[in-house]
Amino acid sequence: MPGRILAIALNTFREAIRNRILYLLLVFAVALILCAQAVSLMTVGSEEKIIKDFGLATIDIFGVLTSVLLGIGLVSREIERRTVYVLLAKPIHRAEFVLGKYFGLVLTLLVNTAVMTAWFFGLLVAKGIADAGLAKAIVLLFLQFLLITALAILFSCMSNPIISCILTLALYVIGHLLWSFDLLKARLTSATARAICTVFQAVLPNLSHFDVKGQVVHGLPVSAGDMAFAFGYLALYGTAILLLACAIFQRREMQ
Amino acid sequence: MSAAAYRRPRRLPLLAAALGLLTAAGLASAGAAAARRADGRITPLLYLPSGRYLKAAALGFDPILADVLYLWSIQYYSNYRIEDRYLYLEHIYRDVITELDPRYVDPYLVGALIMTAEARQPEMALRLLDKGIEHNPGDWILPFEAGYVCYNDIKDYGRAARYFEIALRSPEVHPAVRRFHAEMHNRAGDPRTSLREWASIWETSDDPYVRTVAWNHVHDLRVEVDITTLRHAIGRFVAARGRRPARLEDLVAAGLLDALPADPEGGAYAYDPARGEAAYRGSRILGR
Repeated sequence: MPGRILAIALNTFREAIRNRILYLLLVFAVALILCAQAVSLMTVGSEEKIIKDFGLATIDIFGVLTSVLLGIGLVSREIERRTVYVLLAKPIHRAEFVLGKYFGLVLTLLVNTAVMTAWFFGLLVAKGIADAGLAKAIVLLFLQFLLITALAILFSCMSNPIISCILTLALYVIGHLLWSFDLLKARLTSATARAICTVFQAVLPNLSHFDVKGQVVHGLPVSAGDMAFAFGYLALYGTAILLLACAIFQRREMQ
Repeated sequence: MSAAAYRRPRRLPLLAAALGLLTAAGLASAGAAAARRADGRITPLLYLPSGRYLKAAALGFDPILADVLYLWSIQYYSNYRIEDRYLYLEHIYRDVITELDPRYVDPYLVGALIMTAEARQPEMALRLLDKGIEHNPGDWILPFEAGYVCYNDIKDYGRAARYFEIALRSPEVHPAVRRFHAEMHNRAGDPRTSLREWASIWETSDDPYVRTVAWNHVHDLRVEVDITTLRHAIGRFVAARGRRPARLEDLVAAGLLDALPADPEGGAYAYDPARGEAAYRGSRILGR
């Protein structure tokens, strides 16, 4: 990573860890993971599944919230506060600025996810139900956070935080519902309409590639092929989104 | 302007007012919740749509949604003050919870237990367990539970034996399932298969208790099977010759039996030529 991107990334990371939202989310996440223990006592049967489901869902929800809530303001807030002018007056390419912001938040998410995972595994080890297979689900969730962060930063480059938040969350929802296009296509008679559905399926982010929570909790294997596909998909789609973000930010008028 | 005019506004009255209002709201809410609890019929979760639709709305969180609904169902169905609580029982377990997470075994077991023990609907329980067996093919507890419902509640022993056979295909099956399986054949009127299964348990088990139990069944079943074999042979002898055999050996001489069976102790079966009936000289262990 070029030095300028690294410098912006580290600065973004320092800025993020001073953000109270991050701590609020982290405290809620840790508290919820511990709550799983209490909730599991109400069940009849195995507590294990409930603790694992709660832990993974908490990491998922709070990781996504961190990606969205911090990602949407990364660029637009700099523009609003006019701090971006100070940076861009220096010999920094606009694309380096966007990528630095992105990798700074990626570093924040890495620390955030590591803290939640450590809490989660601490609880599992204490209960004697630790399972290395869960790590695969958490790795895939982290990849999902990276993709959502890329989307958040794309929207942050083109609009204000509220619009960015709505658009990112909308794509998150759509990303988990892409399979419904198959149902729609089965009902459509027009070949053109079916082709349009196929285009939507290809263009919109498919987040189901990163969701194996149910699988790992039931002890079902996650193949190396599935993991590799998720990494490859993120590399392709995430890079495309970041390039788009850089292109938009390069053409953006600063007033 | 005096210094007092610049004094910061006092926050204590505002905080006290806020605290008072929050307490009042909390008490009102708790009172309303208690009133709702007293009227146990208010159960909005009963009217959930099918799990197929919920799965779509869950955005990948369907396993935890299944957990939450399962926990709710335990609280709801254990509330004996709700008289009509079984109205949506099958919908909640079969169409919602197990649709959201078809590999979650506990709701199948608990749902089936409520359906049989509480709602007295064993066929409903079997429908739920059949779905569980379909989605969890390597699991033995679900077909075992289905077999037990057939045995204990429906008294359909042949159907029970078929479920126990499915359970026995799992390598992790509990050894007791073999004993249930063996006994079901006997209760279904097939003592020969039951004898074969009990004999296999007796030959292969390392547990002295299990071997003793198995031997007791083998003993009595062998007597039952042998007496039935002799009775049929005597009947055919009478039909062919127009008289009863003088001795049991006449059955072998007539080609109706290859050899006379020995009783479990190795002795010969008794025969009453006047009545044409074979009998066991000893006593049956299980008394049947």
